[in-house]
Amino acid sequence: MERTRAILVDITKCIGCRSCEQACKQAHGFPTASEAKLSPTNLTVIEEHGEKFVRRLCNHCQEPACASACLVGALKKTSLGPVTYDGSKCIGCRYCLVACPFSVPRYEWSKLVPYVKKCDMCSARQVKGQPPACVEACPTGASTVGWRDEILDEAERRILGGGYVKHIYGSDEAGGTSVFFISDVPFEKLGFPAPPKQSMPVLTANALGDVPTVVLVGGSLLSGLYWITQRREAVARAEGNVAYPRPRFTANDDDEKRS
Amino acid sequence: MLRKLSNFSLPKITLWRTIVALIMVAGLYATYARFAMGFARATHLTDAQPWGLWVGIGTLCGVGLSAGGFAIAAAVYLLGFERYRPVLRASVLVSFLGYSSVIAGMMYELGLPWRIWHPIVMWNRASMLFEISWCVMLYSTVLALEFSPALVEKIPWTGVRNWYLKWHHEILIGLVMAGVVLSSLHQSFLGGLYLLTKGKLDPLWYSPNLTTLFYLSAIPAGLAVTIMALYLSIRSLDVKLDPKILSEVSRVIAPLLAIYGIFRVVDLAKNEALPYLFMWREETLSFWLEVALLVIAPIVLLSIDKVRNDPQRLYWTCAVIVGGFMTNRVDVSVTGLQRSSGVYYVPQWTEFAATLMVMTLAALVFRYAVIYLDILPKNTAKMPPRFRWAMKGAAAEA
Repeated sequence: MERTRAILVDITKCIGCRSCEQACKQAHGFPTASEAKLSPTNLTVIEEHGEKFVRRLCNHCQEPACASACLVGALKKTSLGPVTYDGSKCIGCRYCLVACPFSVPRYEWSKLVPYVKKCDMCSARQVKGQPPACVEACPTGASTVGWRDEILDEAERRILGGGYVKHIYGSDEAGGTSVFFISDVPFEKLGFPAPPKQSMPVLTANALGDVPTVVLVGGSLLSGLYWITQRREAVARAEGNVAYPRPRFTANDDDEKRS
Repeated sequence: MLRKLSNFSLPKITLWRTIVALIMVAGLYATYARFAMGFARATHLTDAQPWGLWVGIGTLCGVGLSAGGFAIAAAVYLLGFERYRPVLRASVLVSFLGYSSVIAGMMYELGLPWRIWHPIVMWNRASMLFEISWCVMLYSTVLALEFSPALVEKIPWTGVRNWYLKWHHEILIGLVMAGVVLSSLHQSFLGGLYLLTKGKLDPLWYSPNLTTLFYLSAIPAGLAVTIMALYLSIRSLDVKLDPKILSEVSRVIAPLLAIYGIFRVVDLAKNEALPYLFMWREETLSFWLEVALLVIAPIVLLSIDKVRNDPQRLYWTCAVIVGGFMTNRVDVSVTGLQRSSGVYYVPQWTEFAATLMVMTLAALVFRYAVIYLDILPKNTAKMPPRFRWAMKGAAAEA
């Protein structure tokens, strides 16, 4: 498998300076006023939980629910790792918002031509070998970027060094992501969602896999039923029994036929 | 000429006409709000509750309650239940109008409705919604074709008419079979949409068997809607139909609901959701309301001869079933997601208005179709003269 990029967020190192928010806004050309929550113009956010600063952004799942949900394939897992959104395909059904196990994508509710907005891990920058704007701006190294396997090793090394909760958030959440979090406070106390620890697209893949079976088995079953019905009718006709006459639409049908 | 003019008068103001007019005014304003001011002004939808009334009622109920058409068509053409033939056209029409309403509702619901054709050329076979959109497109076409003779037989040119009807007869069985397969697929897949909400949807509704549950509940609910439409036609459109046929159709509903009910209980047990049945929560109350309306009450009511054989009582029983069905779909799409989203979504009045307008228009089209086309047998004697012209033509040949 190709190597993919991943981000590690070390919550113990975050000082809440919001440089990542600002860098993200500048990189995407959004107004720079600070916002308290994820929004269509705020694709990453620092949330305060007690004394801790928790960064939220798209987790860039290895097998994204949003990409499997999107009926026109506007959302894609790129070979480099980021999950990107192609606005020119989007029809605005918002199934991606429903499907996302982390409730990350935002919608431009107040626009007349609304699109979905979410972090794209600065896909265009990464293709050119540059780090995502947020990572580049982080002054404390709370956010770092690298190859996914190396980033996972680094997270493990820090946890083994002590002082951390023994779990890398993102290692198995929703089947594994490309954004990892490590923390000295349990994740559930920091408002992290607890999505299923399995690949999400599998949930619908089974049912969708039944389509050919339904078409083939259903089709032949119905044909069989029709054949039996036909045969039964033919027999009835041969024996001179017609149980049900065809419907008459008007009271005058008979008169019209007679005349 | 003079006499004709003197016959002309403004429509009388009646209660129902006033209600329809009010719904239309409100609906038109909602349409303006949606397209000129956007979602934020026309709806209470948020990122936490991105699907609301327009999906919960408009799409999930719109499609689900239109399941009567394929069930009756299959019963008549494939199973040879000729006794349902008199109501065949009406049930196909109800379904067709249901699907048309869903597509009209999509124009409000989609953020970029002018791109509704995108799934035709942009494919994602891994998406439930992709499969649904194709099934709905194809099945709406099937319904239109199944219904088309009712319009074509009014064409005055015998040659064209006969050519079309002959050609139609050739492919009809194929259409009906395709209709059954397509319906079975997308009725289930509407439930399948919510398979991805694992961890978000309340345990009372989340199940790996959502597909089967949606399918099993749609058929009896669709038949209930058909019965309601037939009853109203008999009552107010001078349709001459033996009310016995209504109780004939209703005979199937109770067993279907029982199968659904049993499946639901077994499924809840399998998902270890039984403890949630007895918690003091809004979700649990909503669940019991749903089960009472959709399963318990109708099965009890339909087991009483007096209810089954009395069209009016049957009508209200069917209304209970439809109410229960709608509660179920709203529970899956709104109530069951409330806790995880942290948002208490109550639709804005404009959301109701838009949905009501679309439903009212569908009902009006049904009304005029029954009056002007040969959908159901009618008492011509009592017809107003202006309707009689429509009764002539190819009716006898059909």
